[in-house]
Amino acid sequence: MARPDSLGQFEQLVLTAILTLREDAYGVTIHSKVQELARPRAVSLGAVYVTLDRLEDKGLVASWLSDPTPERGGRAKRCYRLEALGERALQESAVTARRIWDGIAEVWGKEVKQWGKRWGKERG
Amino acid sequence: MDSGPSKQVEAFVALLVPPACREEVLGDLYERYRSRRQYVLDALRVAPRVILSRMRRTADPQLLLIQAFALYVSFLGAAWFQQAALLQEPWGLLRLAIPAVVALLGLMLEDAYATPGTRSPLRLVRGPVLGLALALVSQSVLWSGNPSLVVPLWILFYGCALSLLLSSAVGMWLRPPNDQLQGANAPVAWLKEVEEPARSTPGIIWILKGAAAIVVVLLSGRWIEDTAPHLMPRFVGLGGVAFGLVFIYQRWKQRG
Repeated sequence: MARPDSLGQFEQLVLTAILTLREDAYGVTIHSKVQELARPRAVSLGAVYVTLDRLEDKGLVASWLSDPTPERGGRAKRCYRLEALGERALQESAVTARRIWDGIAEVWGKEVKQWGKRWGKERG
Repeated sequence: MDSGPSKQVEAFVALLVPPACREEVLGDLYERYRSRRQYVLDALRVAPRVILSRMRRTADPQLLLIQAFALYVSFLGAAWFQQAALLQEPWGLLRLAIPAVVALLGLMLEDAYATPGTRSPLRLVRGPVLGLALALVSQSVLWSGNPSLVVPLWILFYGCALSLLLSSAVGMWLRPPNDQLQGANAPVAWLKEVEEPARSTPGIIWILKGAAAIVVVLLSGRWIEDTAPHLMPRFVGLGGVAFGLVFIYQRWKQRG
């Protein structure tokens, strides 16, 4: 299998959103999920579209149009799913993030666990 | 609270969003609708990024480079015919590049707004026409802001005419047959759409090819006449032979 390009942070967020949303991954839901993952940073819907286009061009995700629904004014959704290359790229990113986390925890120890609690409260 | 945007507002937003992604973007905006103001602001924030993304996806760097060259050469050629002194001026070459760059932007916009899956002979001319219209508008804006950068009127008109020919010819010769589906994994909906075959265009193609060839010959002839007039008879002879060979090759290809 071809080795995927390294991902930017926003690309990681979008891929993670698609992974967690499974069958329900389309523009609006992906945007909400990315906003949840990236908080307190604000994320625009336009940025999500641009990233989805780029990921599709790289062959990391695939898309298709669903049937039109009345709650969308009779318009179809463009649904997304991860391709094998996208899954691999996300796995590599997750492993790298884990190594960063371990490296930091090794130096700062218990303090790191408190960050999680503190940031979670501030962001939530 | 309204359940969705009014038809007029939605139609306006639909105009902004390129057709290739209109369906899903309008649907998403509809789903996020809370008030008319929020809808319009949402659309105005989304549209520029969607347009830029679409331009990136449809742009073929090689074709764009050749188009840029054709556009710039057209304005250079027009300046050389009409007012060669302009080329010697300190900002002369830059002034000629402005309409060429704006016209190139117009070509990219036309590609971005093209409906995927439809091919028409008019589309090859529509891009250059839009680009040149934008170039003319940019010149009128410059005229009011910084007249020293404006290209003289006749050079502009001749340049536009040459650009139209060269740019359309380049588009015809070099446009990929799959109508610019870029990227490793083009959206499935595009791939599934059945392309209409281009209808009988050989007549238009022949006219544009011939016109482009005549322009090239005229420009080359003028240059040779100015720089080395003694070579003119040879140039005319070689030109005739080249035309003859092309004609014979085309006839042979048609029979084959």
